[in-house]
Amino acid sequence: MPIATPFHPRTLASCTSLLYKDWAGYYAVRSYDTSHDREYFAFRHGCGLIDVTPLYKYDVRGKDAARYLARIMVRDIRKLKPGQVMYVCWCDDQGHMIDDGTVSRLGDDHYRVTSSEPAWHWLVRASRGMQIGLGDVSDRIAALSIQGPMSRDTVDAACGGEVRELKFFRLANTRIDAAKVIVSRTGYTGDLGYEIWMKNEDALPVYDAVVRAGRGYGLEPAGLDAMDVTRVEAGFILNGVDYYSVLRCLIPSRKSTPYELGLGWMVNLDHEPFIGREALTREHQLGPVRKLVGLEVDWNETEALFRAHGLPPEVHSGGWRDARPVYDTRGTFIGQATSGAWSPLLKKNLALATVKSEFATPGTVVRFEVTVEYERRAVKATVVETPFFNPERKRA
Amino acid sequence: MARYDVAIIGAGHNGLTAACVLAKAGRRVVVLERREVTGGMCASEEFQPGYRSSGLLHDTAQVRSAVVEALRLDQHGLDLVAPPAMLLTGADRPGVMIHPSNEATAADIAAISAHDAGRWSAYQDFIGRVRSVIEPLLNDTPPDIGAIGTLQSGSLGTLLKSAMSFQKLGRREMAEVLRVPPMCVADWLNEWFENDLLKAGLAHGALVGMWAGPWSPGTAANLLLAGCTTTSAVKGGAGALAVALERAARHHGAEIRTSTEVASVAMSGGSARGVVLATGEVIEASAVAASCDPRTLFLDLIPAGLLPVAFEHRVSVVRARGTTAKVHLALDRPLEFAAKPGERVERARTATTLDDLERAFDAVKYGRASDHPVLDIHVPSVASPAMAPDGCDSVSLLVHFAPHALTGGWTDAARAALGDAAIAALERVAPGVGKAVVGREVLTPADIAARYGASGGHIHHAEHALDQLAIRPTLDTMRYATPVANLYLCGSGSHPGGGVTCAPGALGAAAVLSRR
Amino acid sequence: MAKRYDAIVIGAGHNGLVAAAYLAKAGRRVLVLERRHVVGGAAVTEELYPGFKFSVCSYVVSLFRPHIIRELNLTKHGMQLIPLECSFTPHLEGPGLVRWPDPHRTRREVSRFSQKDAEIYPEFSLAMTKMGFFVKQIIDSPPPAPGSMHPSELSRLAGLVGHLRNLGPDMVELHAQLLTMSAVDFLRMWFESDALLAPMSCSGIIGTFLGVHSPGTAYVLLHHYMGEIDGAFRSWGFSKGGTGGLSIAIANAAQAYGAELKVSAPVARILVRGGRARGVVLENGDEYKADVVLSCADPRRTFITLTGEQHFDGDFLSQLRRYKYRGSSGKVNLALDRLPDFTCRPGSGPHLQGDIAVAPSLEYLERAFDEAKYGEFSRRPYLNVVIPSLVDPSVAPPGKHVMSIFVQYAPYNLKGGAETWPSRREEFGDAVVDTLAEYCPGLEESILYRQVLTPWDLEQEIGLTEGNIFQGELSLEQLLFLRPAAGWARYRTPIRNLWLCGSGAHPGGGIMGSPGELCAKALLDSREV
Repeated sequence: MPIATPFHPRTLASCTSLLYKDWAGYYAVRSYDTSHDREYFAFRHGCGLIDVTPLYKYDVRGKDAARYLARIMVRDIRKLKPGQVMYVCWCDDQGHMIDDGTVSRLGDDHYRVTSSEPAWHWLVRASRGMQIGLGDVSDRIAALSIQGPMSRDTVDAACGGEVRELKFFRLANTRIDAAKVIVSRTGYTGDLGYEIWMKNEDALPVYDAVVRAGRGYGLEPAGLDAMDVTRVEAGFILNGVDYYSVLRCLIPSRKSTPYELGLGWMVNLDHEPFIGREALTREHQLGPVRKLVGLEVDWNETEALFRAHGLPPEVHSGGWRDARPVYDTRGTFIGQATSGAWSPLLKKNLALATVKSEFATPGTVVRFEVTVEYERRAVKATVVETPFFNPERKRA
Repeated sequence: MARYDVAIIGAGHNGLTAACVLAKAGRRVVVLERREVTGGMCASEEFQPGYRSSGLLHDTAQVRSAVVEALRLDQHGLDLVAPPAMLLTGADRPGVMIHPSNEATAADIAAISAHDAGRWSAYQDFIGRVRSVIEPLLNDTPPDIGAIGTLQSGSLGTLLKSAMSFQKLGRREMAEVLRVPPMCVADWLNEWFENDLLKAGLAHGALVGMWAGPWSPGTAANLLLAGCTTTSAVKGGAGALAVALERAARHHGAEIRTSTEVASVAMSGGSARGVVLATGEVIEASAVAASCDPRTLFLDLIPAGLLPVAFEHRVSVVRARGTTAKVHLALDRPLEFAAKPGERVERARTATTLDDLERAFDAVKYGRASDHPVLDIHVPSVASPAMAPDGCDSVSLLVHFAPHALTGGWTDAARAALGDAAIAALERVAPGVGKAVVGREVLTPADIAARYGASGGHIHHAEHALDQLAIRPTLDTMRYATPVANLYLCGSGSHPGGGVTCAPGALGAAAVLSRR
Repeated sequence: MAKRYDAIVIGAGHNGLVAAAYLAKAGRRVLVLERRHVVGGAAVTEELYPGFKFSVCSYVVSLFRPHIIRELNLTKHGMQLIPLECSFTPHLEGPGLVRWPDPHRTRREVSRFSQKDAEIYPEFSLAMTKMGFFVKQIIDSPPPAPGSMHPSELSRLAGLVGHLRNLGPDMVELHAQLLTMSAVDFLRMWFESDALLAPMSCSGIIGTFLGVHSPGTAYVLLHHYMGEIDGAFRSWGFSKGGTGGLSIAIANAAQAYGAELKVSAPVARILVRGGRARGVVLENGDEYKADVVLSCADPRRTFITLTGEQHFDGDFLSQLRRYKYRGSSGKVNLALDRLPDFTCRPGSGPHLQGDIAVAPSLEYLERAFDEAKYGEFSRRPYLNVVIPSLVDPSVAPPGKHVMSIFVQYAPYNLKGGAETWPSRREEFGDAVVDTLAEYCPGLEESILYRQVLTPWDLEQEIGLTEGNIFQGELSLEQLLFLRPAAGWARYRTPIRNLWLCGSGAHPGGGIMGSPGELCAKALLDSREV
């Protein structure tokens, strides 16, 4: 039985489809209309407004806060300055992924961690001997994400001109009407975008202010379905879909490492000891056995396959999350595509897949399973670099 | 190059044993003891002018003769003697003496139960037969669970020896060896005997230091293990063992520093490179062997943030809830038991029935100390008159049960009440003793934790529950090496466990010697 | 001339019926003889009060093996399981705790007591699921025979060792802990809050004469995770029509396969000649001959009462004598005029559709045990309450309800002797109703009918020695190759052609059906019938 986020009165009023799903125990809109197309194009052309309150949020304060987070995160958190945000992941002792999320430095000795799964017990378990205070603010802080080329204008208007200069992965303490909020230039769409963090009780006034501010900038309330397409285009992985937290893995082959997931760039083996460093050092030397890659599924083959049955090509209208096998050109199983989407922008059929490392080089041709008229077939797919879509404006 | 080959944390009997073994093998050893005296829980101390205590652990009947012989402790003043007879005495009943000799014991039991007298030798015979299976396992490094079923499994010889003894027992008795350990000691004893006093006295032996009563499953294992390891006791008690070990260690060149508290293990990368003293002094050593308990070592002495999270969590769930208090009494006259008027009795236990023990244990489940504790008594001055002034007795009481985590905390008043309850319990079997008390020292589990540095005030460093006997203290450390390179365990928290055995010290030292 | 059978099964308990069904399915001529007028043994439904059908003894179906349902086609014969919705622990203060199938909802409930506990649930489930594989191997096959040098035994043992090896050393450690630790100590490796530990640890004590802090109680926790391994998620539930509905379905299946069934046919003794079982004699003197006799009565009843001590050697007898029963639980069944109204969660709702555990704290449970240890029933006992009429309207008239209350502790051996139970019965019933009424005031006034079953009654009426619901304690020293006796754990007995097929055989009690199934399969494999 999910519960409502503080924005629920507003989202419900707009949600003509009543398409909701359970996100971390909250009601979350899948799409406001029966189709998510309009919301998707808002993300890419105007701006989309999405309730991301269900993210888990934890405050870390105290003298040892930096030392403590440096121990947990594989990325060198010591480099984070007040007002900065970092995309991070954290692992167990064997270097297996637990979750990915962000760390924001809100003050000298004050950090905030966001995660996609509950992290409290792991944060507590790793805290022995550290002089820190931990607080779970998940249920007290509401969050809105405004993403898209017009998001800067919208958020800036809502904040009274305070965030126009805010750089990528920076945050600002500001106000929207009477409410104190934190605005960070972050998001999950791979586009220009912002996230606004506020107290629950300020949620509705802030929501209304943002909607007012976005009126001239093509702002549309958007749901998770549209965001899912954008995050695939951006090549972003999702815990529970593209990988599983090691804390939930029954068998070794389900576990993943940052190197396998393409997050090797953030692993800083040289900084002070962190959880999983020894295992990751070994893996860094040997190289990961599997890698997460982008796949572009060949459209001509797909089309031909369907045409042989007298059908137009059928593609999933939104993102998909039911994994499907990937084969090499001789038909041997080499891994699985875990999520994907038809990109309305790129006019390409995209997928994120984990394949054996020898097939991970861009340009490698593999076979991707397609079901045509109930029959399982395979079409050509090419390994490509991610992000599939990476506009200048994201960082500009 | 480090100044020492091995730095040993703690000069208890296991730390000193390890020091002897290592020094004898030519290693440069330093032993670091927080207290001003050596011996740890074996140390005999003057608690009242003219009165010396036996060690906190006063039962020396499980000291391993193989260790004593290998270290030639006889040359350093140690004598092994037959364990003293144990008087089982309850209120208003004749007592029973458990002698080293089965015949003598059976004769004594006959006075209270002909049935039980007849069963005694069968019971001892069973333990004798099982001993051939269990003893090798208890005196060697435990097998490598990670390599079970492969030929690489360590201690293969021991396992084979034990397995062959097991086969020799025959199918029926093999099943018995597997059946008994998980049982309640009360159930097992009920199968053998009918007399309450006898059952209670024997059961008490299985419960020393336990967070368990006689009706707790798994307690039969302790009775079986104790039975399989009892040989001879140390003349002069635990204190004499500590003295001999210290002499032997020094003789072989070990350096022993008292009043020297280790603040942390000095780490370099993931390895130990010595210890840091409370004074800040760093003592470099190629290896560190810790005879302190595993919780203290890994949760307090290893700097935070260096151990694997899962391992740290695993150590944190090692159960070491102290349930035993210690009371030392200075008497101005000899201690006389109602059951044995005019006789000198060195060892005694006071539980009248199994339910006495169980009720005494019930209290600790609710954070209380028992109002009617049961006592495990040692009177060191019987065998060593010098422990007390002429014509007087020094009495050592292990008091069951009192929780480390007493509701409301161990205030002075709570400590005094515990002492009073212990004396009242003694009074019931030795009337008049209360008036003879001229001095007393009461050590609550909290005091034991503070004085001896034992986590939870646990006299065995970790409870002797079945799981913690089989895998002690954790999977990663059960063969004395630890996840920290160059750091070894050699205390009671390791196989084969607590008590005055010297076995963990010797086996831990062997692990240090066998390292590459 | 009496009719000859291939096999006679003594007792139409669910295990006896399962065994009969398997034998009949294999083409054997089978006769089942039941002492009472109804089938089911302890898995029985009776209409004790007009319109109200009570699951008199066993009240939830826990681990009934799904493959037995498939192999005996039990659904066709009327078996239906309705899963338990949730687990509700009422408190005197605060809203209590409900554990729901929805993990996020449960997380929110638990986080009121401990956030760490709320979040660590999945990690705990993962460890339990891993271990479930191992236990499934144990309960779905005859017990191992350690020390045996027979190649098949050695290979089985090697298989188990190999299985553990594959799981990794840390899982070997966890298995060792699970088998020997107390439920509380085991759970404390993950959880910290009393409010959660208390109801979770209860599953470790049901039917035992042990407290939640007693070592050896952790093992049973795993039974709650077996469902996932079986592919029968949420396999704990009600049987439609009460637990007797399950027994009737098995009886129907057995009869459909050709088995004969006689109720009100109490067996007086087993005919033994020349060390072989030849048949049985009923109390009315009727004799039935068969090649083999299976008994689903408990070991004491089977060997001492029905066979006779004179047929056994001293070692077997001494093993029988030390085999422990000492029932610890009772049962109170109520016909209610209306639903109970819990102060901490008023009104009706899905929280009443699962099991309701009166287990507010560990201290409460431990004190309940302490009273029993010294020969008294608990004044404030652990209660496990279900209201099956909420999900199965067939068991009560519209708007009315049946309530089944499992009570622990009620020691068989009261201080004054077990035979004093009849004079204490109503006092015991009052203690139970008073306890529950603290959480739902007004309960007394809604009671239309009350049945109180003490361990004495379970022995006298159902035939369970000392009222033990599992036909012998499920303690480690009475499990596996030691159940019921060393050397006789493979369903055979020292009497040739006499087989044991009840909960007193491996893998033990609970509505699993395994002893009956494994016994029948071992018997068929032996080609002795």
